Amino acid sequence: MAAIAVALLASALAGCGLGAGPQASDTELLVSKDFGAQPIVQTDQPKTGGSDTVMRLLQRNAPKVTTRFGGGFVQSIDGVSGGTSGGRPVDWFFYVNGIQADKGATSIKVHQGDRVWWDHHDWGVTDDVPAVVGSFPEPFVHGIDGRRLPTRVECVEPQSDACQAVADKLADLGQVAARGGVGNSFVVDTLRILVGPWKALRGESTAKLLEKGPGTSGVFAKPAADGRSITLLDQDGRATRTLGAGTGLIAATKVKDAKDQVSDPVWIVTGTDDAGVLAATAALDEGALNGHFAVAISGGRPIGLPDRGQ
Amino acid sequence: MRYRRRASPLHAARAVAGGAWCAALAAAALAAEHPIVLLGLALIVLAGAGGAGVAREVGRVALWMVPWALAIAVINMVVVRQGFTILARLGEIPPFGQVDLTLEALVYGSLFGLRLLTVAAAFAVFTVAVDPDDLLRVLRRASVRSALAATLATRLVPVLAADAQRIEEARRCRADQGGEGAAARLAVLRAVAGGAMDRALDVAATLEVRGYGSAKRGVRSGRPWSRHDQAFLASAVAIVALTLAARLVPLASFDPYPEITGAGVGEALALTAAFALCALLPFAGRRGIAP
Repeated sequence: MAAIAVALLASALAGCGLGAGPQASDTELLVSKDFGAQPIVQTDQPKTGGSDTVMRLLQRNAPKVTTRFGGGFVQSIDGVSGGTSGGRPVDWFFYVNGIQADKGATSIKVHQGDRVWWDHHDWGVTDDVPAVVGSFPEPFVHGIDGRRLPTRVECVEPQSDACQAVADKLADLGQVAARGGVGNSFVVDTLRILVGPWKALRGESTAKLLEKGPGTSGVFAKPAADGRSITLLDQDGRATRTLGAGTGLIAATKVKDAKDQVSDPVWIVTGTDDAGVLAATAALDEGALNGHFAVAISGGRPIGLPDRGQ
Repeated sequence: MRYRRRASPLHAARAVAGGAWCAALAAAALAAEHPIVLLGLALIVLAGAGGAGVAREVGRVALWMVPWALAIAVINMVVVRQGFTILARLGEIPPFGQVDLTLEALVYGSLFGLRLLTVAAAFAVFTVAVDPDDLLRVLRRASVRSALAATLATRLVPVLAADAQRIEEARRCRADQGGEGAAARLAVLRAVAGGAMDRALDVAATLEVRGYGSAKRGVRSGRPWSRHDQAFLASAVAIVALTLAARLVPLASFDPYPEITGAGVGEALALTAAFALCALLPFAGRRGIAP
């Protein structure tokens, strides 16, 4: 009992002190509209201060930030405000290293290398997009809440070129990832990347959320059950186009276990066939993913999701 | 703390004018943003209380409000997460998360506390310097029964206070001094509360016998507006106009979040001086102030 009390006290005192404390470096800030389609602020050298929270980082770098509920929630940035737009509910959401936060922006500390993304979007279809791919190479490099997590690449065929390519890309980032077959276990404190054709991946407990649509997975694309096509959805959840052979998909989501505990983010690198998986693997880089919630790849060209039909 | 007619311009003014003056100062304090203006308004209210000869009573209220103002400042600093200038980090405190004490939150909380103190002081002036009977006569023109109920309530409070004092003296006259501590005070309170019921029944019976149930709306007093009436009403109008102008232009603006920004000291002092001029000028006229 005493040991627990001492541990709790030590953890509480760990962040204590006078003054602003140490400053997080190498942070990046993106402020955008419509699921990343329209950047408002994008900087890889934001102004930072000691012990900055996500809210302070935003207020230091974005124009005209107004808040509500005692400063805990963002109401508007640069005149773009939450509420309703054209009869649809819209609001500001934020992601740290590609992960939707479960706390307010004033309660989350910014750590070294964090990528903070504020996006104003329609949440008529879902207000829960648990993870996005647009902050790549995060969360693999700096992890979650200042803690780097081990990464596991789970492939349908661990010896395949696609699996090797994903592992190599992570290695280039300085991240040595374990490789293995696709597991169905609920893995705690591990970032997982599932690689393989959709037909083979769809049985996995997290991946199968994608077939249920954005309301469940937060991903605005629905692979067909037979794995032969992927239907892209717009922000209203309507199908805009259905892409066939050679189509790839990179998305991230989370799943809850039986005890309602939410998993760490699971990335899914998949496709309608081997060519689609290879196309998705090739697109697994910062240039293709930056500022997108999820990405479909068709004809070697990345398409940001939700689809805008362009 | 109760109204007593004294030889002061504010006491000489009719209740509508005096009440408007106090309410205008309270409204100005609620609308003020800049700390210099807010501090100035607090001093103006205290100076007005001095001019009305009620500085002691109002000062007591202001002193009583100081701990509350400090508590508000501290609570705001602990609860609010806004502000860039971190004074101290308290670490992760569940369920609040990262708790940082910021200068901006302290300033905002202090201003809020000062605002509360100023408003309380303004209404303390109202309580001791504005004739409640005169005010109720005015209200009677709007609603007879409400005015009657308010009159009875304001009259009963000092009566009950006098009752309590008499019962307390009687208690101490007993051989055993009627006990000590909380139990003795509770006995007095019980006696006063029981007496209040009896008095209320007596008052109700008297009102019924005298036919107050069919009372009609009051008529205008016809009393001409004195120089003090006009001066305090004009002062109230000027304070309200200045408050609105300061908000609309804006003058002496101040925003503590996320970083302390505000108008210069000169602008704030000028606005404070204008408020002081408008509010305190009616106290210059000393003719006809005797009760």
